Amino acid sequence: MKASRARLFKEYKEVQREKAADPDIQLVCDDSNIFKWTALIKGPSETPYEGGVFQLAFAVPEQYPLQPPQVRFLTKIFHPNVHFKTGEICLDILKNAWSPAWTLQSVCRAIIALMAHPEPDSPLNCDSGNLLRSGDIRGYQSMARMYTRLAAMPKKG
Amino acid sequence: MESDDDMVDDSVSMEDDFYSGDYSDYYDDPNDNDNDYCSDDDGDYGLLEDDDDDDQDALVSRRPQLGYTVLNEADIKQRQEDDISKVSTVLSISRFDATILLRHYNWSVSKVHDEWFADEEGVRQSVGLLERPVVQLSNARELTCGICFESLPRDYITSAACDHPFCRACWGGYISSTINDGPGCLSLRCPDPSCNAAVGQDMIDKLATCEEKEKYSRYLLRSYIEDNRKTKWCPALGCEFAVDFTVGSGNFDVSCLCSYSFCWNCTEEPHRPVDCNTVAKWILKNGAESENMNWILANSKPCPKCKRPIEKNQGCMHMTCTPPCKFEFCWLCLGGWAEHGERTGGFYACNRYEAAKQEGVYDEAERRREMAKNSLEKYTHYYERWASNQLSRQKALSDLNQMQTVQLEKLSDLQCTPESQLKFITEAWLQIVECRRVLKWTYAYGYYLPEDEHAKRQFFEYLQGEAEFGLERLHQCAEKELNKFLSGDGPSKEFDDFRSKLAGLTSVTKNYFENLVRALENGLSDVDSQAAAACSKTTSSKNTGATSKGRGGKGKGGSKTGGSSRNVDDTSN
Ligand SMILES: [Zn+2]
Ligand SMILES: [Zn+2]
Ligand SMILES: [Zn+2]
Ligand SMILES: [Zn+2]
Ligand SMILES: [Zn+2]
Ligand SMILES: [Zn+2]
Repeated sequence: MKASRARLFKEYKEVQREKAADPDIQLVCDDSNIFKWTALIKGPSETPYEGGVFQLAFAVPEQYPLQPPQVRFLTKIFHPNVHFKTGEICLDILKNAWSPAWTLQSVCRAIIALMAHPEPDSPLNCDSGNLLRSGDIRGYQSMARMYTRLAAMPKKG
Repeated sequence: MESDDDMVDDSVSMEDDFYSGDYSDYYDDPNDNDNDYCSDDDGDYGLLEDDDDDDQDALVSRRPQLGYTVLNEADIKQRQEDDISKVSTVLSISRFDATILLRHYNWSVSKVHDEWFADEEGVRQSVGLLERPVVQLSNARELTCGICFESLPRDYITSAACDHPFCRACWGGYISSTINDGPGCLSLRCPDPSCNAAVGQDMIDKLATCEEKEKYSRYLLRSYIEDNRKTKWCPALGCEFAVDFTVGSGNFDVSCLCSYSFCWNCTEEPHRPVDCNTVAKWILKNGAESENMNWILANSKPCPKCKRPIEKNQGCMHMTCTPPCKFEFCWLCLGGWAEHGERTGGFYACNRYEAAKQEGVYDEAERRREMAKNSLEKYTHYYERWASNQLSRQKALSDLNQMQTVQLEKLSDLQCTPESQLKFITEAWLQIVECRRVLKWTYAYGYYLPEDEHAKRQFFEYLQGEAEFGLERLHQCAEKELNKFLSGDGPSKEFDDFRSKLAGLTSVTKNYFENLVRALENGLSDVDSQAAAACSKTTSSKNTGATSKGRGGKGKGGSKTGGSSRNVDDTSN
């Protein structure tokens, strides 16, 4: 508990110091609870998520960083490895491939990489997984783009 | 879908001479006085005791075989140390590195040698044995720990061979959490996610608490048995022996020094003549039929690789079994995750299952088909008999125990016979115990014998009936007839008759069961030729009552029956 708090505080200070270091990621610690964080990440370019801003919620366990944080999308996203309803993410580093040397920041980077390179063999969203697996890339992209516009872009007008 | 690689094929081919005996005679005897069995069999003892001919069907409980070795903890440690020394010497690497290598290659010294000398670089890479550091540490007085991000004096920092710096406190937490997670700690790597440097026992010794070191050593010892394809723990509760099995030495029945016997291949109780897969199916069936297993069946499935039940607690279909197995599979089809697409022909096969299930189609249709196919009555029939033989065997075991501890001494006094001459009684009981076990499993065999193989079924039921009959006769003789001599008040003239009767029944039954086991293990492969003939012969002799009587009459005379049972004996040579 003490170690995890100290480590999170380090991460917090790092984030404050280098706010502009990674323009695609904006990590914010909860006002009252250092174990709750949110992040805004930019959809990577040349993907159907380009132009969207996606919000992630982090719940950090007391054994952090020996155990991984729980992360989910708060913004709706159409992606094979993200549960469409709950926002749950299927990503190895958040499960058995976790290492204590990962940070919340590097987890965000890994999630951005996952957005650019979906793994249709590990589907949490079967519709999306099926489209990709059956080779219907265009179908997948147009669905993903539509949801990006609907959910991850500021409403115009 | 399933991985059979840890199940060695157990269909052992054996010479089949089971049917050459004249079964119709064996069959015709039941109503006769049993004495002729015994008196005529005396001459056969030489043959029976002379067991150098075929070790394959030896009763493990009675004739130890050399196909396996039972190891105690000291033996295991010694072997492990020897293997580590061997690898360490031959490869000129530290004992810690040798341990990591051996564990990686499932403790096969020859495999380590082969791989290493074929491609040392590749092996080092995949196992994580670095020859030089991957990072250059600055000369600063303080270094930043890669986990807590504190800047600390150099002597607070330590690293694996890669030199990635972590403070001792963080190492301690990292090592402690992996050790407490289970045997997966044996393949520990540097905490840096981009680094695969192995973390061996030298680091553990330096950084873990005494309790954790002890745990780690236990896992290492366990790994030597569990990851080695040639060894297994004895499954008996509380037993700490392991069994080293030489593959290819006939059947899988082994007997531990703790006196527990089991099938080395599947670690269930010995189950000859039924093969391991049938046993697994049968046990699963029994479980499925008992109400209280429903919950676990609905919420968990056996990992297709290690068979441990894995509970589903995530939305994701991508299951990862707990360490050390870590097998990744699909919850829906139980296929290996890596080859998932190929196997199911794209994701659609999985999808269809779920769609049908939602509409309630799959459940209903499947259930009805199941019900029709395996009527509960059939199952009940076989299960009841299987279970009764099981109970009967347990009873026989406790009777045997009672016999050895109390009765034999009493009998010895009453009959004025040295206990050494009462061995035939113990032998009879041991035989009963073994036969109950075989008979029990023939009911699982029968349950799975295809309905449409009429000739086989018919012959099987005939053989099983004979076995049942023969065993009942032996069991009764040992149980009831013996009592007469225990309650009498002095030496009885008939005791010698009893001795030859019981000894005779024991040897006849033993032979019959040994042949039965071989025949069933052969899948009743001869059923089309001799078996059918034997069956029809039986039927015809039964139908024509006169003939049957005539045969029986001759049997009583002695020579005929004796001859036939000797035939059975002869054929096993
Ligand atoms: Zn540290
Ligand atoms: Zn490293
Ligand atoms: Zn044992
Ligand atoms: Zn078995
Ligand atoms: Zn498993
Ligand atoms: Zn599947």
